[in-house]
Amino acid sequence: MSTDKRITLQQAAEIVKNGSSLTFSGFTIWRRPFALVYELIRQQRRGLHLIEVQGGPQTEFLVGAGCVDIWESCWVGHELYGKYGANLSRKVGNKEIIVEDYSHAEMMFRFSAAAQGAAYAVTQTSLGTDIHNPEYDMLGRAGLRDGTHPHIAKHKYQFVEDPFFGAGAQVLLPPVKLDVAVLCVQQVGEEGTVRVNGQYYSDPESARAADITIAFAEEIVPEEYLRRNADQNTIPSFEVDYIIECPFGAHPTGMFGRYDVDGNFLKDFYGRTRTQEGFDDFAKEWIHGQDHMSYLEKLGWPRMLKLKANTALNYSPRESKGGK
Amino acid sequence: MSEYAKPEEFGLADLLCCAAAREVADNEIVFAGTGLPMVAIMLAQKTHAPNLKLIFEAGTLDGRPPELPTSVGDARCEMGASRSSGLSDAFSIAQRGLVDLGFLGGAEVDEYGNVNTTCIGDYLNPELRLTGSGGNPDINSFARRTVFIMVHEKRRFVPNVSYITSPGWRVKKWPGGEFVHRRELYGSAYRGGPSAVISTAGVFRFDDQSGRIYLDTCHPGQTPEEIRGMCQFDLDISRVKGETELPTREELHFIHNVLDPDGIFIPAVKKG
Repeated sequence: MSTDKRITLQQAAEIVKNGSSLTFSGFTIWRRPFALVYELIRQQRRGLHLIEVQGGPQTEFLVGAGCVDIWESCWVGHELYGKYGANLSRKVGNKEIIVEDYSHAEMMFRFSAAAQGAAYAVTQTSLGTDIHNPEYDMLGRAGLRDGTHPHIAKHKYQFVEDPFFGAGAQVLLPPVKLDVAVLCVQQVGEEGTVRVNGQYYSDPESARAADITIAFAEEIVPEEYLRRNADQNTIPSFEVDYIIECPFGAHPTGMFGRYDVDGNFLKDFYGRTRTQEGFDDFAKEWIHGQDHMSYLEKLGWPRMLKLKANTALNYSPRESKGGK
Repeated sequence: MSEYAKPEEFGLADLLCCAAAREVADNEIVFAGTGLPMVAIMLAQKTHAPNLKLIFEAGTLDGRPPELPTSVGDARCEMGASRSSGLSDAFSIAQRGLVDLGFLGGAEVDEYGNVNTTCIGDYLNPELRLTGSGGNPDINSFARRTVFIMVHEKRRFVPNVSYITSPGWRVKKWPGGEFVHRRELYGSAYRGGPSAVISTAGVFRFDDQSGRIYLDTCHPGQTPEEIRGMCQFDLDISRVKGETELPTREELHFIHNVLDPDGIFIPAVKKG
């Protein structure tokens, strides 16, 4: 077997099938694998079951493009560049998508359980909220908790009393069942070792939990370079199945040490995609008929240089934070 | 002690920011969200609480950002931090009971401090789907105290929120959904709950026994009766202490010249 795991962007998108369950690296508007998100939209992927610790612009793009049937998560928005997920909101209103709400910690612990191979996560968060309202089990209401769907648990949650030290009511949560995790990171070695700089968010759990993990990186570096300082690495080689070098692959989201969030781009997206017509128009301008290089060409060097991080600060002091 | 600013020298956002900062005690471990709360905590860090420990939900622990981050995932969070990690750490720390205070927001609040950030109207047929919970219920479940910062509109201060995203003092016991005091549900994780709501009209607190909200102070220009008229429930105004403490000149200096000079979260008051 070759130790080189390189594939192309098109091949990466083809690994995600219609109906796959999928998650991404990053946090809200940081380190989202946008090059792949755009390619999934170009390839008109359908019926995705998106499971995210928390959503962000990538959710909004995929949902707006009609790629997603089920979204399990806790939050979607663009931080200060757009206060809520207008595309998700529209599709929820039209009942065109199933949304299953958990809390943020619940989602994180579900990912941890999956990464541990555990049968469930256990926590005391969010007791007494409508997140645990049995009437609001949306996958159950849709008849999908009958045990025949490999990504969907038979219950949204269960309660038990702590059997050990009498700590009280506990919530049991199902582990997430992920076909594919797509990461967007600073560096990956030829054999798949990932080095994330800055906060690693929930990337290690995502990589371990998913059946297939694809790592998009700003640069593929010699594996031996990363192995000289193994304590600085984030994800071991064998948990990454495929790698792609894809500079600026997270744009318009940001990447610690490499480039800032493109606030103007996100504001423009948020402002223009309240309606389906608006989304389709935006997609026509920025996604369809493009590939990653033509997309970067369209952005242009001046804009990308403005976003480029200062290597001492790890962010761009040139990019106005208000996106102005 | 710096002198208080005159009314024309500050705006409502300044007042909220300073009121929020005053909720922080030195040496506390504080969970910070994006926006005004982040400015408030950093203001406390610059003034009366230099030893507070700041945790960002995305995984920065004991951060001392020299420059205001745009969100908790921002590279700016990490400069000067004790450790940079991930969400599993941040939420484990909260569940472990190490967090003293969290700042949160909401679209609706009820008289027992239950907060909704999920949807407006019936969850199954929403008028508007909002962002969803984020970490709001998690921080509110585990921190000793939580402070909510909200825009004050009558439609937001309601007897019952349309969806309990984040648990107040009287919450629903499932599967039946009957209301119980949160201490009956949380077992060993019971450490406290919402301690204040800072709205654009006043500062509200919760009765120790009943968990019911009452008006504590009014912002300048507001009377208790006016604020009661801005709530859909019968607001207790019997315990009002007076006016909300005004920002000092020193605090305004930190907000506008040091923390948020571009006016991203706290717009500057126009001079003249």
